[in-house]
Amino acid sequence: MPAGWWLRKRHYFMYVVREFTALPMALWLLWLLFDIKSAGAGPAGFQPPRSTGFVIFSAVCLVFAMYHSWTFLKLAGVIIHLNVLDKPVPPRLIVFTMFALWALASIVIGAVLIGFGR
Amino acid sequence: MADKRITIQATRFDPEKDEKPHLQSYDIPFTDESMVVLDALNHIKSYVDGSLSYRWSCRMGICGSCGMMVNGTPKLTCSAFLRDYWPHKIVVEPLNNFPVIRDLVIDMEDFMHKLKSVKPWIIRKQEIPLGAGAHRQLPAQIEEFRQFSECINCMLCYSACPVYGLNDKFLGPAAIALARRYTLDSRDEGLKQRLPVIAEAEGVWECSFVGECSVVCPKGVDPAKAIQQSKLDTTLRFTLPYGNRD
Repeated sequence: MPAGWWLRKRHYFMYVVREFTALPMALWLLWLLFDIKSAGAGPAGFQPPRSTGFVIFSAVCLVFAMYHSWTFLKLAGVIIHLNVLDKPVPPRLIVFTMFALWALASIVIGAVLIGFGR
Repeated sequence: MADKRITIQATRFDPEKDEKPHLQSYDIPFTDESMVVLDALNHIKSYVDGSLSYRWSCRMGICGSCGMMVNGTPKLTCSAFLRDYWPHKIVVEPLNNFPVIRDLVIDMEDFMHKLKSVKPWIIRKQEIPLGAGAHRQLPAQIEEFRQFSECINCMLCYSACPVYGLNDKFLGPAAIALARRYTLDSRDEGLKQRLPVIAEAEGVWECSFVGECSVVCPKGVDPAKAIQQSKLDTTLRFTLPYGNRD
């Protein structure tokens, strides 16, 4: 395989973009783990990053996370093969349910974080 | 129309003479709007250069033997129309990701071995005697596996799969789609014989869902779907209580 195989087709390129989005997210999560560990030392040890650069990096990570989640969840209808009362559940309903659960989980986690923040 | 012509550039490779494959150009008459790339190759072989080697058989998208790269995309040459490319030249190369034996002929040994490893036939714990009559299925039971049974083993999906291109140990799209076809068949009882191959790291788990296999399939099979469903099934069998039952 030539090194530039992923540039040959748009489909390959978008696949690589999708896979790449996981990398900045992983870095951001490592940072989060580091912050949680620092918080264990009490208020004195907790120094969350407030620089403009980190805010921009976080915003980019958020876009990547949303893109990764969207590309993954929209495929749920292809992957999940469910029968209810001997009838297959329509793929659209499965995708809708997945997005609804995603939205619900985001709201709950957001509420918990804001609650703890206060 | 009689003067219309088209240029075909075909890969030539003679392992006894050439160090590596190279392209050779042929300018041939484009006499009929229904001409396909395979017709062009047959014209070259019959009237221009009889030494050109390639596989073909049925000419109607059934046998799966005439798969080649047409302008960089894996296609059945019997269903790639010249009119879709004319007046531009057409580059015909052997399928990507396979060793080349000669010209446009690839070595399909690896695929045949993988296909056999998933036992793509109905396996019964106890055969039903012929005298017992037909083993009937409901239309809904046939629908479960019908699309996967359309696979014609043309290997276009392997050629489009960068995962297979990077790691030829990967079981690959068509073999997994056919394993899925038999797993979903209500008459089959062979899942446990196939699982050791399918559930391997280089079985379904090597796939990272590029999805190009399903895009290039000339028969509308969705191997990517078969692979992702198999991932979910094998996970549930492993994690759920009593999940690994027959």
